Amino acid sequence: MRIDARNLLNRLGKNEFSYKEFEDRFTDLELWPILEALLRDPRLQTLDQVNAPAAQAVQDTRASDEQPLGALFSRYEHETNGAALRQGTPRHGDRQPGQDVRAMLRHLSELGARGEI
Amino acid sequence: MAMIVCHGPKGGAGTTFIAAHLATGLAEAGADVTVLTVSPRDTLALHFGLQPALSLPSMTAPVNEAVVAGGINLRHYRRAPVDPDFIPMLRDLGYLAPGAHRVLVLDVPAGEQAFGRRAITHACAHVCPLNAAPDTLALLPAMFGEAGEAGLARTAFVVNALDETRRLSRHGAAFIRELTGPRLIGRVRLDEAVPEAIAMLQPLARYAPASAALADVRLVAAAMVPALDNNVSDAWIAPAAVSRAA
Repeated sequence: MRIDARNLLNRLGKNEFSYKEFEDRFTDLELWPILEALLRDPRLQTLDQVNAPAAQAVQDTRASDEQPLGALFSRYEHETNGAALRQGTPRHGDRQPGQDVRAMLRHLSELGARGEI
Repeated sequence: MAMIVCHGPKGGAGTTFIAAHLATGLAEAGADVTVLTVSPRDTLALHFGLQPALSLPSMTAPVNEAVVAGGINLRHYRRAPVDPDFIPMLRDLGYLAPGAHRVLVLDVPAGEQAFGRRAITHACAHVCPLNAAPDTLALLPAMFGEAGEAGLARTAFVVNALDETRRLSRHGAAFIRELTGPRLIGRVRLDEAVPEAIAMLQPLARYAPASAALADVRLVAAAMVPALDNNVSDAWIAPAAVSRAA
């Protein structure tokens, strides 16, 4: 940390500095192809399955609009060519037509706007 | 006595930085902490403000050769990945049982995946540092697939060197947050004070006590304290308040 920045923080009585002014509106979010590709990979659901018991407990204390990753996978599959992917791979979570990876980004944007991510 | 493994899927994520400050935080919480690096080219000592020419003693070296910084015993054991007696040695030393009094923090480089997975099966918890970069995200499916459910049951994730001024970095961190859910225990902001402290040969806490990264990594260490009482065979997940804060 530069000495002038440290002196400024000391003068302000702050012990840390964080960026708070970089919220993303949904309209500014891009659909990064790599995130879309990763969401197609069923191996990422391993953690969702490991978390399942704990996630249930956590959900009790969290906002009701948060959804497990499995739900996001299910929505994505529903919107794309999910028939082939669905075969042989157990899923959990509600299927909600009309939502896709952009819904996940919108959800992330909302979390960011509330300062939760 | 307990062991925590620090190991991530990709080099450059700051695993050694996290291991060093995790050790510091656990020591400040009252534990007798040893940090063991198995990397052939380790930089562990630099995070404690020590000289780059300093060679850490082996795990098996006598006490009078010990290097102690900030009350933390620093050791290396580069043969660990190929030594079949390494895990039995840790068992003999008592590190494979829960307990907050004596703690071993094992720093495993990303390239030692097989050894890392083997060590994690004997640890009370696994800390996985990640960068919120797309090339790191791309490795997660392979990592999850190789580890399986059992291998991730005691894993806690940390997003390290997070640059919140960059859109892709924020989106990557948000992706990790959604992916890992309650297993994300912290986000450590990118902070120039970290390399500057190394360059000044000072511990970060002395060089920049107001460092944002220092404040963040202290929270990570605090989140891991309850894991020390976890049985090796049991799953572990941070308390809900920790994951919400992350």
